[in-house]
Amino acid sequence: MEIITWIANNFFGTPAILLGFIVLLGLLLQKKNLSQVISGTFKAIIGFLIINAGAAVITGSLGSFEPMWKEVFGLETPPLAGFLGQEAFNAKFGSAVTLAMTLGFLVNVLLARFTPFKYIYLTGHMMFWTTTIFAGITVQAVGGDIPFWGLVLFLAVIMGLYWTLQPAITQPFLRKITGNDNVALGHTSSSVAILSALLGKVFGNKKNDAEHINLPKKLEFLRDSNVITALTMGILFVVGAVILMVKKTPGAEKLIAEAGNQSFIVYSIVQSFTFAAGIAIVLVGVRMFIGEIVPAFNGIATKLVPGAKPALDAPIVYPYAPNSVIIGFLGAFIGAIIWLVVLGNTVGYVFVPTMIVLFFHGAVAGVFGNSTGGIRGALIGGFLTATVVAWGQYIMVTFFINTTVPDTAMWAADSDMFILGPIVSMLAKLFF
Amino acid sequence: MKILAVCGLGQGTSLILRMNVETVLRDMGVDADVEHIDVSAARSMNVDIIVTSQELAETLGTDTGAKVVIVNNYFDNAEIKNALSAAINS
Repeated sequence: MEIITWIANNFFGTPAILLGFIVLLGLLLQKKNLSQVISGTFKAIIGFLIINAGAAVITGSLGSFEPMWKEVFGLETPPLAGFLGQEAFNAKFGSAVTLAMTLGFLVNVLLARFTPFKYIYLTGHMMFWTTTIFAGITVQAVGGDIPFWGLVLFLAVIMGLYWTLQPAITQPFLRKITGNDNVALGHTSSSVAILSALLGKVFGNKKNDAEHINLPKKLEFLRDSNVITALTMGILFVVGAVILMVKKTPGAEKLIAEAGNQSFIVYSIVQSFTFAAGIAIVLVGVRMFIGEIVPAFNGIATKLVPGAKPALDAPIVYPYAPNSVIIGFLGAFIGAIIWLVVLGNTVGYVFVPTMIVLFFHGAVAGVFGNSTGGIRGALIGGFLTATVVAWGQYIMVTFFINTTVPDTAMWAADSDMFILGPIVSMLAKLFF
Repeated sequence: MKILAVCGLGQGTSLILRMNVETVLRDMGVDADVEHIDVSAARSMNVDIIVTSQELAETLGTDTGAKVVIVNNYFDNAEIKNALSAAINS
């Protein structure tokens, strides 16, 4: 038992190690030589950790972005009370979560082996967050005295089913985008991706493909994703900075003081470039880690699960439609601003617009929306993402997870979790 | 021998190309180290062969010192094989 918990914590609870092992296994099964095995395994782990480092840079930049826009709208997050919170929740249910994740992955492999749904979920960090959020929902639905193994098995089955079926349902739409059947999307943005493709078909115009935007020679710099990210964020940062400097409220003064001796405008511009730098770092990490895991996965897939396909993180769809990525994010950003104001003024909930979720999910929705509805489809997809994330966060934090981990739900929960959350809660009440 | 598979962002498409190049090389019995990367990073790398599309080859320029192999369909192993063997045997 202790060994299992140790393995669950140190192995499956640490995505970099888990993925390193998967790559190692894949390379060994392919009978690669020692040099290739070592270099492949190391690069996969390093790549995965680079992604974390890049994400930290992005989060750092967003750390000035979010309070800035909250102050622009004069919103304040009301203090939540009477919940466990991530730290206390982990201490009490953490091993159940990691164990459920471990067994859920085995359920996924078994389902891939014996059903026609040949998808193996490999997005380790999302595996962890989704299990955590669903555990929070289950514990709240059943109560704190939920039996340990009951919780573990319940979650393992749900996760295993989700990790197998989510890529399977998304695949027909993804196949049209990638033009091949080699990889699948294993990411919690699948619901907004599918909805965007469907809405794009109805309301979009496929003839205006975002990828056919022919930029004049003078605007050639817009082809580079680094440049466009910095530009978008730069505009938003500078607009926010100017508004704060005009507003001069105590909150605004406090934020402006963070720039120190530097001009607040220059400080804001540097923050937007820092955000773009974070994205560039993430992409380097993604290349190193995906570049090892995909070929290694082929090794495992062909040996253990004949005909299996890897389900991978959101950025695998970005290269197929880089313009749509930006348009989708823009749609999500505009939507988030609108819902921020609407939610604040109607139900009185202060939406925390986590740019990471809006960017990664909005971008996926943009690519899927563009595939059926062109530029308009991509924009609609982005807006839909913001709608699901904003209202989903309000409903989840207020009703389904308010005694367990609402803090985590505010920054780590996203599209699929919000849509499936009520179903998980209902099932939990049914089974316990 | 060091070979680069190159696409715009150096993420998905070039990875598929890299895997197909590796498959083709295995069939040909050629031992090579294949990496995938984006077009701007590829310019500063010292390699023997760069495999990419016509459009990106223009962006790449001629100052890389590598043989540039043009492939139109990244998923067509027969085309990759033809283009590669021409470059390797020349």
